[in-house]
Amino acid sequence: MMKLGTLLVAMGLAAAAQAAEIRPPARVIAGTSITIPSGGSGDATFYLIGPKLASKKQVQAGSGIAVDSDQLERAGRYVAVLCASDGCSSASFFVVPAAANKLSLLVHPSRVPVGSMNGISTVAFVFDNFRNLVLKPEQVKFSILAKDSKEVSASRGSENGVSWVRISSAKKEGPVRIGAAIGHANEVRVVQQVAADACNLRIKVSRAKTGFLIETDPVRDCSGNSVPDGTVVSFTKSDSTGKTTVDVPIKRGVAKVEIPIQGSARITVASGVVTGNELQVAGGRAQ
Amino acid sequence: MSAALRYSLLAITFGLLVCAVAALHLGVAAESEVPHVEFNADNIGPRQIEDLTAKSVPRDYAFAWQTMEQALHENRPGLLDGYFTGTAKQDLGERVASQNKSGIHTRYQDRGHELEAIFYAPAGDAMQLRDRAQFDLQVLDGNKVIYEEPVKAEYIVLMTPGADRWMVRQMQAIGGEK
Repeated sequence: MMKLGTLLVAMGLAAAAQAAEIRPPARVIAGTSITIPSGGSGDATFYLIGPKLASKKQVQAGSGIAVDSDQLERAGRYVAVLCASDGCSSASFFVVPAAANKLSLLVHPSRVPVGSMNGISTVAFVFDNFRNLVLKPEQVKFSILAKDSKEVSASRGSENGVSWVRISSAKKEGPVRIGAAIGHANEVRVVQQVAADACNLRIKVSRAKTGFLIETDPVRDCSGNSVPDGTVVSFTKSDSTGKTTVDVPIKRGVAKVEIPIQGSARITVASGVVTGNELQVAGGRAQ
Repeated sequence: MSAALRYSLLAITFGLLVCAVAALHLGVAAESEVPHVEFNADNIGPRQIEDLTAKSVPRDYAFAWQTMEQALHENRPGLLDGYFTGTAKQDLGERVASQNKSGIHTRYQDRGHELEAIFYAPAGDAMQLRDRAQFDLQVLDGNKVIYEEPVKAEYIVLMTPGADRWMVRQMQAIGGEK
Protein backbone atom coordinates (compact mmCIF):
# COMPACT_ATOMS: atom_id res chain seq x y z
CA MET A 1 0.00 0.00 0.00
CA MET A 2 2.84 2.32 1.00
CA LYS A 3 4.73 1.50 -2.23
CA LEU A 4 1.62 2.25 -4.30
CA GLY A 5 1.23 5.61 -2.55
CA THR A 6 4.87 6.48 -3.18
CA LEU A 7 4.47 5.49 -6.82
CA LEU A 8 1.38 7.66 -7.20
CA VAL A 9 3.16 10.64 -5.61
CA ALA A 10 6.16 10.09 -7.90
CA MET A 11 3.87 9.88 -10.93
CA GLY A 12 2.12 13.04 -9.80
CA LEU A 13 5.45 14.86 -9.43
CA ALA A 14 6.56 13.62 -12.82
CA ALA A 15 3.33 14.87 -14.38
CA ALA A 16 3.74 18.20 -12.65
CA ALA A 17 7.34 18.43 -13.84
CA GLN A 18 6.23 17.61 -17.35
CA ALA A 19 3.48 20.21 -17.14
CA ALA A 20 5.93 23.02 -16.43
CA GLU A 21 8.69 21.79 -18.68
CA ILE A 22 10.65 24.30 -20.73
CA ARG A 23 13.24 23.45 -23.39
CA PRO A 24 15.39 26.36 -24.61
CA PRO A 25 18.20 25.65 -27.09
CA ALA A 26 21.54 25.03 -25.36
CA ARG A 27 23.30 27.69 -27.41
CA VAL A 28 21.99 30.82 -29.11
CA ILE A 29 23.93 33.30 -31.26
CA ALA A 30 23.71 36.83 -29.88
CA GLY A 31 21.03 38.99 -31.44
CA THR A 32 18.86 36.18 -32.81
CA SER A 33 15.26 35.58 -31.77
CA ILE A 34 14.17 32.16 -30.54
CA THR A 35 11.02 30.29 -29.67
CA ILE A 36 11.20 28.17 -26.55
CA PRO A 37 8.93 25.10 -26.58
CA SER A 38 7.04 24.48 -23.34
CA GLY A 39 4.93 21.67 -21.95
CA GLY A 40 1.69 21.65 -19.99
CA SER A 41 -1.35 23.84 -20.44
CA GLY A 42 -3.07 26.87 -18.98
CA ASP A 43 -1.86 30.28 -17.87
CA ALA A 44 1.77 30.53 -16.85
CA THR A 45 4.42 33.12 -16.10
CA PHE A 46 7.63 33.12 -18.10
CA TYR A 47 10.80 34.67 -16.70
CA LEU A 48 14.03 35.31 -18.58
CA ILE A 49 17.09 36.27 -16.55
CA GLY A 50 20.22 37.30 -18.44
CA PRO A 51 23.31 39.48 -18.05
CA LYS A 52 21.36 42.68 -18.66
CA LEU A 53 17.72 41.75 -18.23
CA ALA A 54 15.20 40.11 -15.92
CA SER A 55 11.89 40.01 -17.74
CA LYS A 56 8.54 38.55 -16.78
CA LYS A 57 5.50 37.94 -18.97
CA GLN A 58 2.27 35.94 -19.04
CA VAL A 59 2.21 33.05 -21.52
CA GLN A 60 0.19 29.97 -22.36
CA ALA A 61 1.95 26.82 -21.19
CA GLY A 62 2.21 24.22 -23.93
CA SER A 63 2.86 26.73 -26.66
CA GLY A 64 6.12 28.14 -28.00
CA ILE A 65 7.39 31.14 -26.06
CA ALA A 66 8.83 33.81 -28.33
CA VAL A 67 11.95 35.66 -27.15
CA ASP A 68 12.89 38.73 -29.21
CA SER A 69 16.38 39.19 -30.60
CA ASP A 70 16.96 42.37 -28.56
CA GLN A 71 16.54 40.33 -25.38
CA LEU A 72 19.38 38.07 -26.42
CA GLU A 73 22.03 40.57 -27.46
CA ARG A 74 24.42 40.12 -24.58
CA ALA A 75 26.55 36.97 -24.52
CA GLY A 76 26.46 34.95 -21.32
CA ARG A 77 24.37 32.66 -19.20
CA TYR A 78 20.59 32.96 -19.31
CA VAL A 79 17.97 31.27 -17.13
CA ALA A 80 14.47 30.63 -18.47
CA VAL A 81 11.80 29.87 -15.86
CA LEU A 82 8.19 28.86 -16.45
CA CYS A 83 5.81 28.98 -13.51
CA ALA A 84 2.34 27.48 -13.80
CA SER A 85 -0.24 26.65 -11.15
CA ASP A 86 1.56 23.35 -10.50
CA GLY A 87 4.99 24.88 -9.88
CA CYS A 88 8.02 26.23 -11.69
CA SER A 89 10.53 24.60 -14.01
CA SER A 90 13.69 26.13 -15.34
CA ALA A 91 16.52 25.64 -17.79
CA SER A 92 19.69 27.56 -18.44
CA PHE A 93 21.34 28.26 -21.79
CA PHE A 94 24.19 30.28 -23.23
CA VAL A 95 24.15 33.14 -25.70
CA VAL A 96 27.42 33.20 -27.65
CA PRO A 97 28.93 36.19 -29.50
CA ALA A 98 27.98 36.84 -33.13
CA ALA A 99 30.56 37.47 -35.88
CA ALA A 100 33.42 39.87 -35.14
CA ASN A 101 32.58 43.29 -36.47
CA LYS A 102 33.81 45.90 -34.00
CA LEU A 103 37.11 46.85 -32.44
CA SER A 104 38.23 48.74 -29.42
CA LEU A 105 41.73 50.04 -30.00
CA LEU A 106 44.09 51.18 -27.26
CA VAL A 107 47.26 52.94 -28.46
CA HIS A 108 49.82 54.33 -26.01
CA PRO A 109 51.51 56.74 -25.66
CA SER A 110 50.01 59.59 -27.69
CA ARG A 111 53.46 61.24 -28.03
CA VAL A 112 56.59 59.17 -28.47
CA PRO A 113 60.24 60.10 -29.08
CA VAL A 114 61.61 59.16 -32.50
CA GLY A 115 63.66 55.98 -32.72
CA SER A 116 61.97 54.43 -29.72
CA MET A 117 62.20 50.63 -30.07
CA ASN A 118 58.79 49.00 -29.41
CA GLY A 119 57.75 52.34 -27.95
CA ILE A 120 54.13 52.24 -29.12
CA SER A 121 51.77 49.69 -27.56
CA THR A 122 48.76 48.79 -29.69
CA VAL A 123 46.02 46.54 -28.30
CA ALA A 124 42.82 45.65 -30.15
CA PHE A 125 39.81 44.06 -28.44
CA VAL A 126 37.54 42.20 -30.86
CA PHE A 127 33.77 42.57 -30.44
CA ASP A 128 30.62 41.62 -32.30
CA ASN A 129 27.93 44.16 -33.15
CA PHE A 130 26.51 43.89 -29.64
CA ARG A 131 29.78 44.63 -27.79
CA ASN A 132 30.35 40.99 -26.84
CA LEU A 133 34.00 39.97 -26.73
CA VAL A 134 34.57 37.49 -29.58
CA LEU A 135 36.71 34.77 -28.04
CA LYS A 136 37.36 32.55 -31.04
CA PRO A 137 40.59 33.41 -32.91
CA GLU A 138 40.21 36.16 -35.55
CA GLN A 139 42.76 37.94 -37.76
CA VAL A 140 43.17 41.63 -36.97
CA LYS A 141 44.96 43.74 -39.58
CA PHE A 142 47.21 46.39 -38.07
CA SER A 143 48.47 49.20 -40.28
CA ILE A 144 50.95 52.03 -39.88
CA LEU A 145 50.92 55.12 -42.04
CA ALA A 146 53.54 57.78 -41.41
CA LYS A 147 53.69 61.16 -43.18
CA ASP A 148 55.17 60.96 -46.70
CA SER A 149 55.57 57.18 -46.64
CA LYS A 150 53.73 54.06 -47.74
CA GLU A 151 51.36 52.16 -45.47
CA VAL A 152 52.80 49.12 -43.76
CA SER A 153 50.42 46.44 -42.51
CA ALA A 154 50.50 43.06 -40.81
CA SER A 155 47.85 40.67 -39.49
CA ARG A 156 47.89 39.21 -36.02
CA GLY A 157 45.58 36.51 -34.65
CA SER A 158 43.48 37.31 -31.62
CA GLU A 159 43.50 35.18 -28.50
CA ASN A 160 40.53 35.37 -26.12
CA GLY A 161 39.37 38.43 -28.05
CA VAL A 162 42.66 40.33 -27.78
CA SER A 163 45.26 41.06 -30.43
CA TRP A 164 48.27 43.29 -29.89
CA VAL A 165 51.49 44.56 -31.41
CA ARG A 166 54.39 46.72 -30.33
CA ILE A 167 55.54 49.30 -32.86
CA SER A 168 58.83 51.17 -32.99
CA SER A 169 58.69 54.88 -33.80
CA ALA A 170 60.32 56.22 -36.95
CA LYS A 171 63.54 58.27 -37.17
CA LYS A 172 61.67 61.32 -38.42
CA GLU A 173 59.30 63.36 -36.31
CA GLY A 174 55.64 63.87 -37.27
CA PRO A 175 52.29 62.16 -36.87
CA VAL A 176 51.82 58.45 -37.55
CA ARG A 177 48.40 56.87 -38.10
CA ILE A 178 47.99 53.47 -36.46
CA GLY A 179 44.98 51.45 -37.55
CA ALA A 180 43.36 48.11 -36.80
CA ALA A 181 40.69 46.50 -38.96
CA ILE A 182 38.34 43.53 -38.78
CA GLY A 183 35.07 42.95 -40.62
CA HIS A 184 33.55 46.37 -41.23
CA ALA A 185 35.43 47.94 -38.36
CA ASN A 186 38.46 50.12 -38.96
CA GLU A 187 39.76 52.05 -35.98
CA VAL A 188 42.55 54.62 -36.31
CA ARG A 189 44.62 56.48 -33.72
CA VAL A 190 47.24 59.14 -34.33
CA VAL A 191 50.51 59.17 -32.42
CA GLN A 192 52.79 62.20 -32.54
CA GLN A 193 56.43 61.25 -32.99
CA VAL A 194 58.55 63.96 -31.40
CA ALA A 195 62.29 64.61 -31.33
CA ALA A 196 64.24 62.51 -28.88
CA ASP A 197 66.75 63.94 -26.40
CA ALA A 198 69.15 66.61 -27.60
CA CYS A 199 72.32 65.40 -29.25
CA ASN A 200 75.65 67.22 -29.81
CA LEU A 201 74.55 70.13 -27.65
CA ARG A 202 76.91 73.04 -28.31
CA ILE A 203 77.15 76.57 -26.92
CA LYS A 204 78.92 79.76 -28.00
CA VAL A 205 79.63 82.98 -26.10
CA SER A 206 79.46 86.58 -27.23
CA ARG A 207 79.69 89.88 -25.42
CA ALA A 208 76.50 91.56 -24.28
CA LYS A 209 75.79 94.94 -22.65
CA THR A 210 75.96 93.77 -19.04
CA GLY A 211 77.80 90.46 -19.34
CA PHE A 212 78.07 87.59 -21.75
CA LEU A 213 75.42 86.06 -24.01
CA ILE A 214 75.58 82.25 -23.92
CA GLU A 215 73.66 80.69 -26.80
CA THR A 216 73.22 77.14 -28.10
CA ASP A 217 73.41 76.09 -31.70
CA PRO A 218 69.99 74.91 -33.00
CA VAL A 219 69.14 72.05 -30.64
CA ARG A 220 68.48 68.78 -32.47
CA ASP A 221 68.27 65.11 -31.60
CA CYS A 222 70.69 62.51 -33.02
CA SER A 223 68.46 62.04 -36.10
CA GLY A 224 68.48 65.75 -36.90
CA ASN A 225 64.95 66.53 -35.66
CA SER A 226 64.52 69.86 -33.89
CA VAL A 227 63.99 69.44 -30.17
CA PRO A 228 60.60 71.10 -29.44
CA ASP A 229 60.40 74.64 -28.12
CA GLY A 230 59.83 74.67 -24.38
CA THR A 231 62.36 71.91 -23.70
CA VAL A 232 64.53 73.14 -20.85
CA VAL A 233 68.27 73.69 -21.29
CA SER A 234 70.40 74.32 -18.19
CA PHE A 235 73.40 76.68 -18.28
CA THR A 236 75.85 76.44 -15.36
CA LYS A 237 78.49 79.01 -14.48
CA SER A 238 81.31 77.90 -12.12
CA ASP A 239 83.74 80.49 -10.78
CA SER A 240 85.56 81.38 -7.57
CA THR A 241 82.26 82.43 -5.93
CA GLY A 242 80.62 79.07 -6.58
CA LYS A 243 78.16 77.51 -9.01
CA THR A 244 75.08 79.15 -10.57
CA THR A 245 72.58 77.33 -12.80
CA VAL A 246 70.00 79.00 -15.03
CA ASP A 247 67.21 76.92 -16.69
CA VAL A 248 66.04 78.32 -20.02
CA PRO A 249 63.38 76.93 -22.39
CA ILE A 250 64.23 76.53 -26.05
CA LYS A 251 62.67 79.26 -28.19
CA ARG A 252 62.70 79.05 -31.98
CA GLY A 253 65.11 76.15 -31.83
CA VAL A 254 67.78 77.71 -29.60
CA ALA A 255 68.26 78.50 -25.91
CA LYS A 256 70.13 81.58 -24.76
CA VAL A 257 70.88 83.46 -21.57
CA GLU A 258 72.84 86.55 -20.54
CA ILE A 259 75.18 85.93 -17.60
CA PRO A 260 77.34 88.52 -15.82
CA ILE A 261 80.88 87.17 -15.42
CA GLN A 262 83.60 88.71 -13.22
CA GLY A 263 87.10 87.39 -13.86
CA SER A 264 87.29 83.77 -14.97
CA ALA A 265 84.40 81.27 -15.19
CA ARG A 266 83.57 77.89 -16.67
CA ILE A 267 80.27 77.56 -18.56
CA THR A 268 78.61 74.19 -19.13
CA VAL A 269 75.31 73.24 -20.76
CA ALA A 270 72.92 70.30 -20.35
CA SER A 271 69.42 69.24 -21.39
CA GLY A 272 67.94 66.38 -19.43
CA VAL A 273 70.67 63.75 -19.13
CA VAL A 274 72.59 65.08 -22.15
CA THR A 275 75.57 67.35 -21.55
CA GLY A 276 77.15 69.60 -24.15
CA ASN A 277 80.50 71.29 -24.59
CA GLU A 278 82.03 73.55 -21.95
CA LEU A 279 83.64 76.97 -22.35
CA GLN A 280 86.17 78.83 -20.24
CA VAL A 281 85.58 82.59 -20.10
CA ALA A 282 88.47 84.63 -18.69
CA GLY A 283 89.16 88.38 -18.64
CA GLY A 284 86.17 88.99 -20.76
CA ARG A 285 87.20 86.45 -23.43
CA ALA A 286 85.86 83.04 -24.28
CA GLN A 287 88.42 80.23 -24.70
CA MET B 1 3.81 27.67 39.10
CA SER B 2 6.70 28.21 41.45
CA ALA B 3 8.85 31.33 41.28
CA ALA B 4 11.94 29.25 40.39
CA LEU B 5 10.17 27.72 37.39
CA ARG B 6 8.96 31.14 36.26
CA TYR B 7 12.49 32.55 36.44
CA SER B 8 13.87 29.52 34.60
CA LEU B 9 11.32 29.96 31.78
CA LEU B 10 12.14 33.67 31.58
CA ALA B 11 15.87 32.93 31.40
CA ILE B 12 15.35 30.31 28.67
CA THR B 13 13.15 32.70 26.64
CA PHE B 14 15.74 35.45 27.00
CA GLY B 15 18.51 33.06 25.93
CA LEU B 16 16.55 31.98 22.86
CA LEU B 17 15.94 35.62 21.96
CA VAL B 18 19.65 36.42 22.23
CA CYS B 19 20.49 33.39 20.03
CA ALA B 20 17.90 34.42 17.42
CA VAL B 21 19.26 37.97 17.27
CA ALA B 22 22.84 36.64 17.00
CA ALA B 23 21.86 34.20 14.23
CA LEU B 24 20.08 36.97 12.32
CA HIS B 25 23.10 39.24 12.69
CA LEU B 26 25.49 36.51 11.51
CA GLY B 27 23.26 35.84 8.52
CA VAL B 28 23.35 39.48 7.47
CA ALA B 29 27.12 39.59 7.99
CA ALA B 30 27.61 36.47 5.85
CA GLU B 31 25.50 37.94 3.08
CA SER B 32 27.65 41.05 2.83
CA GLU B 33 30.95 39.19 3.16
CA VAL B 34 33.68 39.84 0.59
CA PRO B 35 33.95 36.74 -1.63
CA HIS B 36 37.09 34.64 -1.50
CA VAL B 37 39.27 35.15 -4.59
CA GLU B 38 42.26 32.94 -5.32
CA PHE B 39 44.52 34.82 -7.74
CA ASN B 40 47.03 33.36 -10.18
CA ALA B 41 49.18 35.51 -12.47
CA ASP B 42 51.74 32.85 -13.47
CA ASN B 43 50.77 32.91 -17.16
CA ILE B 44 50.26 36.63 -17.56
CA GLY B 45 51.81 38.51 -20.47
CA PRO B 46 53.14 40.40 -22.31
CA ARG B 47 53.65 42.78 -19.37
CA GLN B 48 54.76 41.42 -16.02
CA ILE B 49 52.42 42.20 -13.17
CA GLU B 50 53.66 44.65 -10.51
CA ASP B 51 53.51 43.58 -6.84
CA LEU B 52 50.97 46.24 -5.97
CA THR B 53 48.77 45.36 -8.96
CA ALA B 54 48.90 41.67 -8.00
CA LYS B 55 47.35 42.65 -4.67
CA SER B 56 44.85 45.24 -5.87
CA VAL B 57 43.34 43.28 -8.79
CA PRO B 58 41.97 40.32 -6.73
CA ARG B 59 40.95 42.66 -3.90
CA ASP B 60 39.01 44.98 -6.24
CA TYR B 61 37.52 42.04 -8.14
CA ALA B 62 36.22 40.60 -4.87
CA PHE B 63 34.70 43.98 -3.96
CA ALA B 64 33.14 44.13 -7.42
CA TRP B 65 31.39 40.79 -6.85
CA GLN B 66 30.31 41.80 -3.38
CA THR B 67 28.73 45.03 -4.63
CA MET B 68 27.18 43.28 -7.64
CA GLU B 69 25.58 40.62 -5.44
CA GLN B 70 24.24 43.31 -3.12
CA ALA B 71 22.99 45.46 -6.01
CA LEU B 72 21.11 42.51 -7.57
CA HIS B 73 19.68 41.45 -4.23
CA GLU B 74 18.53 44.87 -3.10
CA ASN B 75 17.92 46.28 -6.60
CA ARG B 76 20.17 49.27 -5.90
CA PRO B 77 22.02 50.33 -9.07
CA GLY B 78 24.05 52.96 -7.19
CA LEU B 79 26.10 50.17 -5.59
CA LEU B 80 27.60 49.40 -9.00
CA ASP B 81 29.37 52.76 -9.23
CA GLY B 82 32.29 51.72 -7.05
CA TYR B 83 33.82 48.84 -9.00
CA PHE B 84 32.13 48.70 -12.40
CA THR B 85 32.56 50.84 -15.48
CA GLY B 86 31.76 50.73 -19.21
CA THR B 87 29.72 47.84 -20.59
CA ALA B 88 29.69 45.90 -17.30
CA LYS B 89 28.19 48.80 -15.38
CA GLN B 90 25.68 49.54 -18.12
CA ASP B 91 24.55 45.90 -18.34
CA LEU B 92 24.19 45.41 -14.61
CA GLY B 93 22.40 48.74 -14.32
CA GLU B 94 19.89 47.57 -16.94
CA ARG B 95 19.54 44.25 -15.15
CA VAL B 96 18.73 45.97 -11.86
CA ALA B 97 16.27 48.30 -13.60
CA SER B 98 14.44 45.39 -15.23
CA GLN B 99 14.47 43.42 -11.96
CA ASN B 100 12.86 46.43 -10.29
CA LYS B 101 10.26 46.63 -13.03
CA SER B 102 9.41 42.93 -12.82
CA GLY B 103 9.50 42.69 -9.03
CA ILE B 104 12.38 40.22 -9.22
CA HIS B 105 15.53 40.07 -7.17
CA THR B 106 18.50 37.75 -7.20
CA ARG B 107 20.32 36.27 -4.25
CA TYR B 108 23.87 34.93 -4.46
CA GLN B 109 25.63 32.72 -1.96
CA ASP B 110 29.20 33.10 -3.12
CA ARG B 111 31.40 29.98 -2.92
CA GLY B 112 34.60 31.59 -4.18
CA HIS B 113 36.53 32.45 -7.33
CA GLU B 114 39.64 31.12 -9.05
CA LEU B 115 40.88 34.20 -10.86
CA GLU B 116 43.61 33.81 -13.46
CA ALA B 117 45.24 36.79 -15.17
CA ILE B 118 45.79 35.95 -18.84
CA PHE B 119 46.66 39.25 -20.54
CA TYR B 120 48.21 42.47 -19.28
CA ALA B 121 48.53 45.18 -21.93
CA PRO B 122 52.09 46.44 -22.57
CA ALA B 123 51.09 49.95 -21.43
CA GLY B 124 49.46 48.59 -18.26
CA ASP B 125 46.08 50.04 -19.15
CA ALA B 126 44.00 46.83 -19.38
CA MET B 127 44.02 43.35 -17.91
CA GLN B 128 42.10 40.31 -19.05
CA LEU B 129 41.27 37.57 -16.57
CA ARG B 130 39.47 34.25 -16.42
CA ASP B 131 37.29 33.56 -13.38
CA ARG B 132 36.03 30.13 -12.41
CA ALA B 133 33.27 31.05 -10.01
CA GLN B 134 31.03 28.95 -7.81
CA PHE B 135 27.87 30.23 -6.19
CA ASP B 136 24.35 29.29 -5.24
CA LEU B 137 21.85 31.32 -7.18
CA GLN B 138 18.30 32.11 -6.15
CA VAL B 139 15.85 34.17 -8.18
CA LEU B 140 12.82 35.50 -6.32
CA ASP B 141 9.62 37.06 -7.58
CA GLY B 142 8.64 39.06 -4.54
CA ASN B 143 9.19 36.56 -1.75
CA LYS B 144 8.60 33.48 -3.88
CA VAL B 145 11.65 31.52 -4.97
CA ILE B 146 11.18 30.76 -8.67
CA TYR B 147 14.67 29.42 -9.37
CA GLU B 148 17.38 27.96 -7.19
CA GLU B 149 20.55 26.26 -8.33
CA PRO B 150 24.23 25.78 -7.48
CA VAL B 151 26.23 27.21 -10.37
CA LYS B 152 29.78 26.72 -11.63
CA ALA B 153 30.44 29.40 -14.19
CA GLU B 154 33.41 30.66 -16.12
CA TYR B 155 33.80 34.34 -16.95
CA ILE B 156 36.13 36.32 -19.16
CA VAL B 157 36.73 39.59 -17.41
CA LEU B 158 38.27 42.84 -18.57
CA MET B 159 39.54 45.21 -15.91
CA THR B 160 41.00 48.69 -16.36
CA PRO B 161 42.70 50.91 -13.81
CA GLY B 162 40.75 53.79 -12.30
CA ALA B 163 42.02 56.58 -10.06
CA ASP B 164 42.67 54.38 -7.03
CA ARG B 165 41.41 50.91 -7.97
CA TRP B 166 40.89 48.42 -10.77
CA MET B 167 37.39 48.47 -12.26
CA VAL B 168 35.48 45.69 -14.02
CA ARG B 169 34.77 46.90 -17.57
CA GLN B 170 33.44 43.68 -19.09
CA MET B 171 32.31 40.41 -17.55
CA GLN B 172 31.11 37.71 -19.92
CA ALA B 173 30.04 34.21 -18.89
CA ILE B 174 31.56 31.77 -21.38
CA GLY B 175 30.47 28.36 -20.13
CA GLY B 176 29.42 26.49 -17.10
CA GLU B 177 27.81 23.45 -15.66
CA LYS B 178 25.72 22.64 -12.67
